[in-house]
Order: sequence, then C-alpha cells, then structure tokens
Amino acid sequence: MSGILIVAEVDAGALRPEFWELATVARAMSASVPGDVAVAVIGAGVDAAARQAAGARPDKLHVIDDERLANPWPEAHAAALIQLCGELAPRMVLAPRTILGAEMAARLAVRRGWPLVQDAVKLEVAPEGALTAVRPVSGGAVAATVRAGPGPWVVVPRPRAFAPLEPVEQFEVAPARHAFAPPALATACGTPKRIALEGLGVDRARIVVSGGGGLGGPGPFALLREVADLMGGAVGASRVAVDSGWAAQAQQVGLTGKTIAPDLYIAVGISGAIQHLVGCSSSQVIVAVNSDPAAPIFGVANYGVVGDWKEVMTAFRDTLAARAPQSGRAA
Amino acid sequence: MRAVVCLKQVIDPLTPATSLALDARDKKIRASAASPPVINGFDEQGIEAALRLRETIKDLEIVCVAAGDRFNADVMKRALAVGADQLVLVQDPSLDTWNSYPIAAALAAAIRQIGGADLILCGRQGSDWDNGLVPYILAELLAMPLLTLARRVSVTDGKRVEIERVLADGSMTMEAALPAVVTVTSELGPLRLPSVAARLSAARKKPRQIALAELGVAEAPAPAPEVVDLAIPVTGRNCTFIEAADGSVAGARLAETLLQAGTVRLGGER
Repeated sequence: MSGILIVAEVDAGALRPEFWELATVARAMSASVPGDVAVAVIGAGVDAAARQAAGARPDKLHVIDDERLANPWPEAHAAALIQLCGELAPRMVLAPRTILGAEMAARLAVRRGWPLVQDAVKLEVAPEGALTAVRPVSGGAVAATVRAGPGPWVVVPRPRAFAPLEPVEQFEVAPARHAFAPPALATACGTPKRIALEGLGVDRARIVVSGGGGLGGPGPFALLREVADLMGGAVGASRVAVDSGWAAQAQQVGLTGKTIAPDLYIAVGISGAIQHLVGCSSSQVIVAVNSDPAAPIFGVANYGVVGDWKEVMTAFRDTLAARAPQSGRAA
Repeated sequence: MRAVVCLKQVIDPLTPATSLALDARDKKIRASAASPPVINGFDEQGIEAALRLRETIKDLEIVCVAAGDRFNADVMKRALAVGADQLVLVQDPSLDTWNSYPIAAALAAAIRQIGGADLILCGRQGSDWDNGLVPYILAELLAMPLLTLARRVSVTDGKRVEIERVLADGSMTMEAALPAVVTVTSELGPLRLPSVAARLSAARKKPRQIALAELGVAEAPAPAPEVVDLAIPVTGRNCTFIEAADGSVAGARLAETLLQAGTVRLGGER
C-alpha cells in the first residue's frame, strides 16, 4: 500500500511545474501519512518527464504510457489514475489544480467515494488519522476549514500556496510500467488547438500587469507591455479581454486561466468578477486602476486609483522610465 | 428533445465581505437581507447554452431544475423570463449544505421524476463553495457521459453532443452520445436579457415545487469533508486610494508610492 500518490501531469511531453509544489506537500505530509511516496506519470511518450519527476526522490515511480493518453482527454486520464489507485491503494492522492488535474481528481473521488479536498492552502493529518485543510471559498472572501475522516483522500492544493521543491539531479528510480487497461470510454476528444505565448508567462512572473474590458480594445496592451517591461514583469488579461481577442488565452488570469500569486499584481480596467479574483487574490500586493469606484476589484486591492486608465498608466510608465537606471527608452 | 439546466441559488458574489455574516454554529455563510441572492452565474451560462441550442433545435424543451433550502421566487423566475419552458424547485432544509452529494442526488431524482433528459447542462461550479462536484456526481448517478468546460455546445442529429472545451492555452473538441451531462464555463458568454414579451409571459408561469420527501431520495453515503470552521481571512485588504487632481498626477504618485514601498524595483535591482 502506498501512502501518498502524486499525479505528475505531463503537458505536450513536459512535466508541468505544479508537480514541484505537490512534491513539497507530499514531503510535509509523509511524516503523518505512513507508507511510500509514489509518483504517477500518465501520458504518451513520458520518459523524459518521468526522469524529471524522479528529481523529487520518490520511493516509487509509476508510469502509464499509452497513445490514447496523448491528448488531455479527461476521461482517459482519469481512468488511468483510477486504475493505478486500484493497484496501489494510496491513502492520499495529490493532484495539481490544472484544468486536467482537477478533473482527474474529481472523477477519481466520485468514482471511488473518496472525499475530495480542493484548493487547499494548508493541510494537516492528525495522529488519529483525520485530514484537516484550509481552503478559500466564495471567491476568497471566506476561509473554510474542512475535515475528512481517515481517508483515502484526494487533495488538490491551491497553486502557489506551497513553495516548489528543489529537484535533485541525477536521482535514479526505476519506473514501474503499467499497461493502460481502461473500461469502455463514453467520451471522445480531438487534438487540442493551442495558442503559443511569447515572452514571460504570467504564472512565473513576480510582477504582472493585467488589462480587462475597461481598456476597450487591443491597442492599450502595448502600454501595459511597456510598463511590465520596465519592471521585468509579464502582461496578463481578464477573460473579457481574451474573449474579445485583445490578448492571448495563455495570458488569462482567473478560473479557467492561470491562478497566480505574484509579488505585485496591477489590474487595469478590470472590474473584478469573481472568476477573475479567484485567479489573482493570492497576490502579495494588488493595485487596481478603474474608472468605476464601485468595481469589486477595489475590495481586494491594496492600492487603488479611480480614474482614466490611459492617463494613469501613461504617467505611471513615464515616472518609472525617468527613474530607470539607464533610461534607454523614449517614453 | 429535452434539455435540463441545473441551477443553484447562491449569495451574490459581488456582495461585499462586510455584508457577509458567518454562522458559527451551522457553519454557513449568510448575506444580509439587503443583498438578495442570485442564480449562480455559471448556471446562468448553462441557460444561455440551452437557449442557443433552441435556435437550431426548434422543438427543444428547456427545463430548469434547482435544489436548495429555500428560494427567492423572483430571482429564480429569471430562468423563465429568458425563455425556459419550466422551472422545477426541489426544496428541503437539508439542501442548504456544503456537501455536493445530497444536492446532486436531489437533482438526479427530480430529473427522473419529470421524465428524464436528453441533455443536462450545469455551470462549472457554484460561486459559493467552489466545489464543482455536482456534475460529476450527477453523471455517475444517471450513468451518463460527462463533458466539461464547454464554451460552445452543439447537438448533431439529436443523437450526439459536441463541445468546444477550453484549455489554459487553447481549446479542443469533445463529444459523446446523448443523453449526456455537459458543464459550461464563463467563456461561453453571459445570459441574454429577457425580452419584454418573454418577461410578461413568464410572470404568468409558476415554478413547479417538489418536496424532497416526494422524490424518495435514499440517504446516500456522503463522502464529503465537513466544514468545521469559517473565517473572514485576516489578509482582508484595506484599499489605500491614491487621490489626485487628475489621472496623470495619480499615476505618477502611484509609481512613487510603489517605488518607495520597495514593491517595484527597477533595472538590475531585482
């Protein structure tokens, strides 16, 4: 019997970075959850990702490598995870809060009748065996403490709530290979259409400058880019801006997009709908620039400017540019 | 052909935290009477998906089904005002719960009671507890395939449903045979506004009330965690507004403030 099973999500051949946050959680939990720490690598052509995941020094590495798992097909990936859980009987399954990972977790939990703890920012297993977790609810307005019995549990930690584990290099653990034997699958999927993003991604940047519907068009994103460049940051966007075609989908911050926790988040022309706040409310400092003083974004902001975004951000850029060490930029 | 849209009545997510009260005994979040509830926004997008389907499937019957503790009829009737044919409300105090299982069981039983569904549309999650589990449990209870996070839903030949599923960096198409459960995401777009004529005809329609006891839902095992505490996070921010004569002065002042606080560092200092 395994103690903890970490789901290592492989996206287009690469190990998703959330894995290292799950590895941190697993290490902390292994003191109170007896048994091995195992990693499940599920996908097609995952050898390189599996080698990378070995850097978390798990006791076991389980691999299901199958062509049918090449696409992020939720039902198939969940079937692979459910199969592995049947074979390994883990007490705790850790899955990333990504679009695929969260769905695999939900499908596993419902199929097996295991309690699911989502969006956990704090986790503790008591000596008598109950799992206690803290998670935001109501879009972050309230923190709920939830408790689940002796397990097994399915746990989906909140992105960026746990520091990523530093991988060790050249750690060898022989993978145990399992043949994928799914039941009949009721859904089918096509090949994903992906839109690549150039430059620093919002999920890794320490400073993110985001634009929303209030900007009124794609043009203003050039100004946000200049501001972000001055600070070494990335440019993000709300769903409205992405849906309107003003920004790329990979820039989207929020429920369907990225959940981020940068040191500084500047929201320009973003009203702060709940699905956006879910993605940015963990930022250290939030600055909101909006013409509507009643915009909900001010409710989560540390600093707010009520006014015309164009005036505010142009002056903001010029002030930064004037203070920059070698101001090679014509403002 | 019948589409069922599952609805939940929730606290308006735009309710300021200062208008929320935490019920320590029952472990519930309550909004003050001044903040009326709303239909969960993601579920409204489920209604919109159904209305768009009816533009091509003329005989599509749209039934909205909600399960909850008590309902604000005016709020829930918005579903009828935008064009749903029927609104079914399953009511019981036990349905005011964090646990997704009893809610899904009530919805499944109500759907069976009204004669089933060819397509069940759900919002991706409730904006209150953010569990997003009801569609998964529904699909399991009704033994239907589940497709999630649709930004577009279409039905081909009345036999199959195809969706465009959103991904973090793109999308992909997925399909399944009907009957099926589909969840929609905010990318699908907001619910349309009701026409005056529809609003008037909706005013004459009455929701159908079903008591949970009538449905004979067996007490299901409920493998959900229980809520043991609720708190307003102490990180609740206090917004400092930068006041200035115009936007340019405010923008410059904002930059100076962030530089002074060390929040922004320029050039090689990072």
